[in-house]
Formats: sequence, structure tokens, C-alpha cells
Amino acid sequence: MRPLTSRRVLGICLLLLAVLFVAVVISLRMGAYPISVRDIVMTLFNGALGRRERIPSEFWLVVFGLRLPRIALGILVGAALSTAGAGFQALLRNPLADPYVLGVSSGAALGAILSLIALPFTPGAIQAAAFAGAAATIAAVYFLGRRGGQLDSATLLLAGIVAATFLSAVIIFLMTSLSGRDLRGMAFWLMGDLSSSPAVNLRWLYLVLIIALGSIYTTSADLNLILTGEQEARHLGVNVNRVKLVVYVAASVLTGLAVSVSGAIGYVGLLVPHVMRMLFGTDYRLLIPTSAIGGAIIIVVADLLARTIVAPTELPVGAMTAIAGAPVFIYLMRRRVR
Amino acid sequence: MNASKEDRALASQAISLRGAPQACLKVEQTSYAYAATDRSAPEFTLGPVSFEAKEHELVAILGPNASGKSTLLKLLAGLEKPLAGRIEVDGAEISTLDLRTRAKRIALVQQESELLFPVRVWEYVLQGRYPHGRRLRFESDGDFLTVGNALSQVGAEALRDRWMEHISGGEKQRVILARALAQQPSLLLLDEPTQHLDIGGKVELLRRLRRLADEGRHTVLIVTHELDLAAEFSDRIVLLHKGKCLRVGKPAEVYESDLLEEVFEAPLQVEIRSGERPRVILRGNG
Amino acid sequence: MFCLPRGRFFIAAIMCGLYCGLLLSAASTMGASIFPRQAAANQEASRVVTDEAGRRVIVPAQVRRIVTLSPDLTETVYALGLQGRLAGDTNECDTPAAAKSKPHVGEPQNPSLEAIVALRPDLILASTSINRPETVDALARLGIAVYTSNPHTVRGMLDSINRMAELMGVEEQGKTLVSKLQARLDALDARLANLPLVHVLFVVWENPLFTIGQNTFIADALRFAGAESVILSDHNWPQISFEEVVRLQPDYILFTNNHTGTGSKQGSFAEGQTRLAQLRARPDWRSLQAVELGHVVVVSDEMARPSPGMIGAIEELARELHPEAFSAHSENERIPNKLSAAAIQAEPRCILCAR
Repeated sequence: MRPLTSRRVLGICLLLLAVLFVAVVISLRMGAYPISVRDIVMTLFNGALGRRERIPSEFWLVVFGLRLPRIALGILVGAALSTAGAGFQALLRNPLADPYVLGVSSGAALGAILSLIALPFTPGAIQAAAFAGAAATIAAVYFLGRRGGQLDSATLLLAGIVAATFLSAVIIFLMTSLSGRDLRGMAFWLMGDLSSSPAVNLRWLYLVLIIALGSIYTTSADLNLILTGEQEARHLGVNVNRVKLVVYVAASVLTGLAVSVSGAIGYVGLLVPHVMRMLFGTDYRLLIPTSAIGGAIIIVVADLLARTIVAPTELPVGAMTAIAGAPVFIYLMRRRVR
Repeated sequence: MNASKEDRALASQAISLRGAPQACLKVEQTSYAYAATDRSAPEFTLGPVSFEAKEHELVAILGPNASGKSTLLKLLAGLEKPLAGRIEVDGAEISTLDLRTRAKRIALVQQESELLFPVRVWEYVLQGRYPHGRRLRFESDGDFLTVGNALSQVGAEALRDRWMEHISGGEKQRVILARALAQQPSLLLLDEPTQHLDIGGKVELLRRLRRLADEGRHTVLIVTHELDLAAEFSDRIVLLHKGKCLRVGKPAEVYESDLLEEVFEAPLQVEIRSGERPRVILRGNG
Repeated sequence: MFCLPRGRFFIAAIMCGLYCGLLLSAASTMGASIFPRQAAANQEASRVVTDEAGRRVIVPAQVRRIVTLSPDLTETVYALGLQGRLAGDTNECDTPAAAKSKPHVGEPQNPSLEAIVALRPDLILASTSINRPETVDALARLGIAVYTSNPHTVRGMLDSINRMAELMGVEEQGKTLVSKLQARLDALDARLANLPLVHVLFVVWENPLFTIGQNTFIADALRFAGAESVILSDHNWPQISFEEVVRLQPDYILFTNNHTGTGSKQGSFAEGQTRLAQLRARPDWRSLQAVELGHVVVVSDEMARPSPGMIGAIEELARELHPEAFSAHSENERIPNKLSAAAIQAEPRCILCAR
């Protein structure tokens, strides 16, 4: 057996990127509006060259106004959630950890509800408030999760669970005192929904994504060691405290980012890292990029199914990932027991 | 119990081929105090301890329970900072070293390994090369060779492709030792390595450690309370009792009946025949 | 496992190129607003109006294709005789029955934006009572004119009908429709003028028990029917405890039939009876005066919908609650009900919605 090399990492990533590309093309093709692959390619081509006049306005609308932004958002959310999940599984030393276990999504949901109460019809308010809620929760759980001034995995997990349950209780309390209309918006948000465009331009969100992904990736070799034991890792020269802090902040930011633009999509952050481990091994230098791309693929496919299976009704993306995710989860658990 | 004459002849041959051994480890007047909280009086003190060890030497930190052995080990590993004194490895004081450099020089062999996800033996041992690389580096073929060497040094090459969770306890111990060896350290530290082994296992482990000390370029330092093994295999003994360093020297110099009886609170008798290592016998009741 | 022999670098290069192309074309449009409609709208004459949610909407002078995102608006469109221009509606638009066969764009709360775009509408009608602001935002950002109605009261609904009629170029029909509806309301008002308000409990959901607040549309409609909710609350859908109901002892208890799909001419009265029987079988409800007296009414869903059909539902409810106000008139008087295309037809009907 050979050790992991950068060539192997690149090779596998290219393979997955190819799969993602196919998923994107299929997703661009499918939808309520009939448009052929050729038309899509022409639209993209002319769009790249800035020649808008040559495209019928409807094509432009469908490709650039509807489908491509949705796919781009799906890639962002999928990559963010899967990487955050992989990071938390290492940080908390728990294979069942997912991006929401530390309460970030509950904090975001609370922010969303508060914005629905305070500013009901303001576009973009719900996303900004959700991100603010997530950030506040990240800070609070960080301070609660320290022991002796440093992040301790068990304490962090407890702090996160306490935060999540407390925030959920507050949310339920608020939801029972809201009028029926506000509840409706919340339901979609809680289930995970890619149909609302983000208030902030996608390029800034992608910038945050890349920075966070990069930060986690720099600790990937350290994470491998930490997973065989924190003390051992220290003796091998890993700055365990610094690594934990970096992973905590980066993974939480990724979660907050995803949840504030699309609500809480479940199962992706938990399962994609496990599937990638089964396929490509547990080395985090390979797991981080494969989780990111794998998550993107899953969300793109799930969203495609969500909007085409019972067209014109659009199912929330979270429903699709839950339906597919539960059997996969059961299968994985049985494999471990064996 | 006696290391065979052939073993020792081979060992001294190996040493003579390498030239004069260097002093790897220098402990000077090191002391430590452990307090429960910042404000309460120091509960436990260790030291001052002074001793030196050269490469190819096997040093035993000897003492009964609660004598400060583990504390001294923590100081040597750099986990705690001494209150006073210096600890030098290869001429550099270890508290001044950054984590990676320290890991290149000192390797601590843990007892257990809590693995979360399945990993293969070679992957596990390969992690020992971490201190020698840059931040996000992928291991080279040279690293892989080092892994192979380390595994053969502990007699575990056959385990290379096995999963860590599928090997036996004794095999796991050897693999953990191999990972420490892969770090290519100057100082190899082991904390009560014979704890869960039967007598055959203990001897086998000590023989292996002896061989490692003789053939490799490190100093092996074990913390133990096994009087007989320490006498048989070590070059130098540091005797601790209730935090005080009572004696440092060769086994023949350190082992004395009255002293050992007092330290270990047991009816012990030391027999030394000239030119041989001391033997410790339990006197009958009475 | 997987490694990258030289030959595959070619494939990798192609893929890089493809991705770069995709990124480039996507990047060139990110942040740019997409308003093809607006460009087109500038060619024809168009007007700028402010809709009832306070948004600025640019409506083309000629509205040829309409998409409605709410069942009440679909009804209104039919009532104005514009069903020929209705290009599509939602899954839930079932009044009148013909609306069910129009192309659907999904559910009111989460319609498929693409399906809407595929219908090439000139104007989309949305309602704050059922549509989400995110949907309206997304459509507006695509450059399609979206008019949002926001009726809080019955009279507000009539104003809304007038404005929408004007928007769609059928001002006259709108005025006619509204004045007819207004006339019915006035007549009702006259009949009930001197009668005391009947105290009712309007049950939105039984378990847990939800009722309506003062500021809801339904509360306003109830007043026109000569009724008032026993629960005075500022919340829109307050949850109350059963003891409250026992304490207040409403004269009548109203349920909606919640679109069980079984609403039919034959079954309409039976539903009220069934509901009554159910309640009588339960120890807690049985103790209420209203249940003992049989004062349980199942009203049609039209009651909750700000649409022309609601007037009919109000009249029916008034009949049930204040029989004394109606008994003086002849039995043959027809009561107008559901409005269908182009004319107001009269049909004999019972309490419940007959579809």
C-alpha cells in the first residue's frame, strides 16, 4: 500500500469534479421550462462572452436567472455542510457529529424567527438575522465549551447540546405566539429550501466558503493525528489547541453560512463524510476536499429531484436528503456493527 | 533472567563500532512542585534531580508508587515545565524548543491508543513522521522506508497492512513503539511499559528495548518499579523515593539491601556477585 | 487506488476548461439584474403602480396573460370574466371548478418559478394572506410584474377587486361586480341592523384549540354576518384553553369544512349534522350550551377567503344565525351564490359550499 500523495488527492478530486459537472449539466437541462442542451450551451457560451442580445430573453431568464443561481447556491451549501460535518466529527471525536450538533442552526433559526417578527416583509432580513444568530451562538458555545482556557471536546459537545435545546425551546415558544402567516415562512426555512436567492451576492459567499475551506484544509494533517488521541498528537508536535480553535471557527462559519441562506438541510453534513471515508479512506487530507465536492454533488442532485419529481410542486431539499439519508444512515450503522 | 552472554557481546560490539557515545540527556537540578490550585500550598514536590544519559544507554527511573516517577517523566517529555533546573536533550533545553522540534527529539510511548476510525498499521506508524515534515506535506518514499524499518525493529513487519483494531494487545504495543521509533528520536520514553504483561512478555519487551538502545542512536528511558528487570537490563538507575532522588548510578552502585528495603518497604535482599548484575531476592517472613 | 497517469491530464485540462467557461458565464451575470421584462415593458406603454404590500410594480398597459398564485385571486379573475386570459393558477385553485383544469404552477406557498416563467405572464397576482414574500421577491427580481393584494377587511377586499380590475383593463366589470357585492352587503346590513350580535366561537383547529383574532379577515366577515367572536385577541390565531370556552359559553360554534373534498350538494347539511354528533359524543364539548342546542354550523371555506364568493358565505351564515331576520321574506327568494363566468347566476343552495 502506498501513502497518500498530492497526485492521488488531485486525481480523486478531478474525478469527483467530473461527476459534479455532469450533475450540473443535467440539472441545467431539467426543469419546467423546456430548453434543450444545445440552447443551454449557446446561452452559457454567449453569456461568457457577454453577448446578451443574441439570446432570447426567456432562455437568459431561465438559465441565468433561475437554474444556474440555484445550482451555484446548492454547490455552496453542499460543500459547506459536508466539510463542516467532517470537521466537527474530528473536533468532537464523535462519528455521529453533524454541523448542527453545536447549536449553530438553532441560533440561526432563532435569528430568522426574530426577523420575521420584527421585520416581516424586508427582503434579505431573514438571512442576515440568521447569520447573526449563528455567529452569536458560535461565540456563546465557544466560551461555554472551554475547560482550563482551552477547547475541550466533551465540554464543547455538552455546551453545544445545551445551547441547541435551549434555543429550540425559545423557538417553540416564539412560534406559538406568532400569527399563522409567519409560521409558514419558518416551515420552509426549517426544512431547507434553495429557492430563495441569497440577499448577498453569491461571490462574497463563495469567498467566505473558500477561506473557511482553506483554513480547515491546513489542519487536515493535524486532524489525522488528533484522531488517534490528543495526547499522542501533542507528543508528535501538533499544536492541538490551535488546531481545535481553527476547526471550530471554520466549521461553525461554514454551517452558519449554509444555514442562513438555505435553512437547515439535514443529513448531508453527517453522511457525506462517512460515505467518502468508506470510498476513499479516513485521511483528512483527502477527506476534506472529497467531502466538499461530494456534498456539492449530493445537494445538486437532491435539489434537482426536489424540483422535478412532482412538478410543478416543489419539495424542500431537506425532505429529499432526509428520505435518501435515513436508509444510508441505517446501512452505515449496520456496517460498523459488523 | 540473565541476558545471555552472546547478547551482551553483540551489544558491546555494536557500540564500539559507533565511536564514543554522546550525552543525549542531561537533567540538572530539576525540581517540580504540584499544587492543587494556584493558591494552596504545594502538595507534592519532586527533586532536585540530576543525572545524565548517553546514547545507547537504557536508563531506568526506579521507585515505588507515588515516588514521583511519572512526574519526572512528564517533565522529561515536556508536558510540564520544571520549577527550577534544566532538562537538555541533544544540547538544547527542551522548554525552549517548539513542539515539532521537540517531537523530533523526544518520543513518548503511550500505553493505549484510542482510535476513532479504522486505520491501517502502516498509516498509524507513518504518523510518527509528522514532526519531520512541513505543515501540509505528503509523506515521501523515504518516510515510508522509515516506517518499514521501525516495524522491523519491533518485529512487526507482518502486521503492516493489517487494521489496527484487528491486532492483539501485544501486537498493538509493538506498533505503538514502532510509531515512536519512526519519529527517530534521541530520547525514547516509556511509562511503566511492562504493566500488563506476563513475565515472558516483560522479558521480551526489555530485551527488545535493550536491543533498540544498543543498535539505535537513542537513549531509552523507562519508568518502572520492577526491581529485577531494572537491574538486569539498564545501564543506569535513578532511584526515587517520595519525590527525592536518592541515588543515581549503575545498578551495582545503587542496589543495596538496606536502602531498597527502606524505599520499597519490603524484606529485600540484594546479592551481587562480582562482574555480574545484582539480583534482588525476597527474604522469607521473619 | 486511483492515480493520475499522463494520458489523463488531457481530460483534466478539458474539464478545467469547461469549468472555467461555466464559471465565467456565471460570473458575468452574477450581480447583474435580470430585467428583460422591463426592457420589453418600456417598448409598450406601461404604468407604475404601488400594490397593496407597498411595492412598486411596473404593469404593462395590455395585460394579456395572467397567473394567479392564490385561490381567492383565481376566483376574482373568473368573477371579472377574465378567465380567458388566465394562463395558469395553483394546485389549490378549485373555485370555480373550471380553474382546476388550468395549467398549474405548484402550491401557493412554494410555486415553481420556472413553471411561472414558462407561462410568460404579463402580470402575476399574489396575496399576502397565502403567498410568501420570498416568492414575490424572486419573481420581481426576474423582472415580472407582481401585484400583491393585502386585504384585511371585507371592504378592503372590494377595493382590492376594483384596483385589480383597473389594472387588468376591465374597470367597468370591476365596478359592476363590486357594486353588486356591495349591494348585497348593504341589504344584509339593513336586515341585521337592529339585531344583537351573536357570540360565536370560530374554531380554526380543534386540537390544540385555535381560534381567530380580532384583526383577521374572518373576524371582519363575521361582523357582516351579525356575529362576533367571543375571544378578543390581538394575535391573529390565538390558542385558547377549553375552560375559556366553557366560561364564555358562545351561542354558536363555527367550524370550517377544511376542504375535505367531500363538499357536495347532498352532503352539505349532513356534514353539519355529523360534526354535531361527534361533539355530542364527547364529554367536554357536550357540556356546552351551543352543542346542547344544536347550534353548530360548518361554514364553507369561502368564509376564510377574501374573494367574491365570501359574500355568499356571509349571507348563508347570517341566515343560519339570525333566522328571524329572514323569515319575513318569501320562501321563493333566491339567494345568489358562487359567481361564475360573465354573469351572476342564482342557484338554490344550502349552508355549505356547493361546488
